[in-house]
Amino acid sequence: MESCDPYFEILELPRGAGMEDVNRSYNYLKKLYSGDAIEVAALNSDFSEEFSRDYLARLDEAYVKVREELENRKTVASQQKTIMGDELQQWVKGIDSFNGDQLREIRIRLGVGLEDIHAVTRIQTEYLASIENESFSAFRAEAYLRSYLIEYARFLGLDSNRVLADYLPRYRTWAATDKKPDVVEVGYVLTKSV
Amino acid sequence: MENSGHNSTIWAIGGGKGGTGKSFLTSCMGTHLALKGNSTTLLDADLGGANLHSFFGLNAPRHTLADFFEKKLPLQDITVHSGIANLQLIAAPGASLDNENINHAQKLKLFRHIRNLDSNNILIDLGAGTHVNTIDTFLLADKMIIVTSPEITALENMYQFIKSVYFRKLKSIFKTHGLTSIIQEVWKNRAAYGIRNLKELIAHIRNSSDKTREVFDREMSGFVLHIVINQARTTRDIQIGENLKSICANVLGLPAIYAGYSRYDEGVKDSINKREPFMLFNRLSPVVGEIKSLTENIINGTGITVQRELLNGKL
Repeated sequence: MESCDPYFEILELPRGAGMEDVNRSYNYLKKLYSGDAIEVAALNSDFSEEFSRDYLARLDEAYVKVREELENRKTVASQQKTIMGDELQQWVKGIDSFNGDQLREIRIRLGVGLEDIHAVTRIQTEYLASIENESFSAFRAEAYLRSYLIEYARFLGLDSNRVLADYLPRYRTWAATDKKPDVVEVGYVLTKSV
Repeated sequence: MENSGHNSTIWAIGGGKGGTGKSFLTSCMGTHLALKGNSTTLLDADLGGANLHSFFGLNAPRHTLADFFEKKLPLQDITVHSGIANLQLIAAPGASLDNENINHAQKLKLFRHIRNLDSNNILIDLGAGTHVNTIDTFLLADKMIIVTSPEITALENMYQFIKSVYFRKLKSIFKTHGLTSIIQEVWKNRAAYGIRNLKELIAHIRNSSDKTREVFDREMSGFVLHIVINQARTTRDIQIGENLKSICANVLGLPAIYAGYSRYDEGVKDSINKREPFMLFNRLSPVVGEIKSLTENIINGTGITVQRELLNGKL
């Protein structure tokens, strides 16, 4: 697939930006470079009508391409759930208890990137990585992990109830033994709301 | 001597238009640096319009840069104490000397002596306009700071200033490599090459041969402008800095960092008229915090990013 990087650059966004950022940045730049803003008007001859037309044409092109790519990411990703090969299906069936390593392996064998999951579920890739690494401290409460896991499992075409049943007890064991006392969190919430 | 002068960081504060607050910000940034314990020297390079001393409540100092040029006094001997610990000042003469009266040799001598000053930081406050001496002094700095206020006239002069700076820089880097003719030729025939702005000119020159590309990439690495918006009154004003980053990249073809902004405050005028150093006597003003944070950003080469929302409101 052709690289979309230059298009993201024109939109002044990082590669991983989502649709919301793309829309916002596009509208913002379009308005800025239409020529009424004082910082553009002050450019005088450096900002000719011709240049403006060129720029806006490139911006429009970038917007279309980036939108396409984001749509693509979504559809490719959502199609991927069903394309689990027989061999992989057999292997997944053979798993008696899902853990982070196995989830990662399934994802990689499906050829799905964390960004692909992010593109559809809007879950930050750091959290997705934390699920796979079982770095439980990344989750402030079980409820967060639970909802992320459901989305993650669904995305990979797994039975989310089964994944939850296998995975969550590991979190609970950790929470009961290693988790920092909740007081810290309460303190955090308090200072934030003050 | 713990500091040989060669470790000093030179800051130049320019921006083209007068009255945008260059001297005020120079005095405040210098105060912040000095209060942090770094020896700091402010050099008033606004020849013909000198008044940096007034921001510290000092009378026009007896010795000025005129004595450096005419009586050959060393810079150390014409520095005066600002009244704030670690902060020194070198004043410019009132009217007897202006850019026109300084020749090339004198300019180089001044630069050499600035580099050898025994001070952690040297802040050079430039005058308005795009005289070649002003531009050269700006290019001497390790930290090139552009101050502008959110008005179309200030922005126009700022662009002219930035373009002059960049053009002068290009000329000087290509000159040392014997490539001056390229830049002149391209500039003369810019219409034929379809060059509409500085960015396209630069791209054309850079791509004209492997040699120019190599020279350009080597010499321009690390070249960055630090933008400061002064006298911001609305959130829209603050966004101008954010937009300038984009415009510098898209139209002028050069990198810029938005170091920060400082808002409009009546207290500034009062403080200047009372001849009090602003940073010391107005700790409650948000301007003090804003200047501190933009100064820190300049030290660290970092900047701020303003959320790109099409909102507007009073500060």
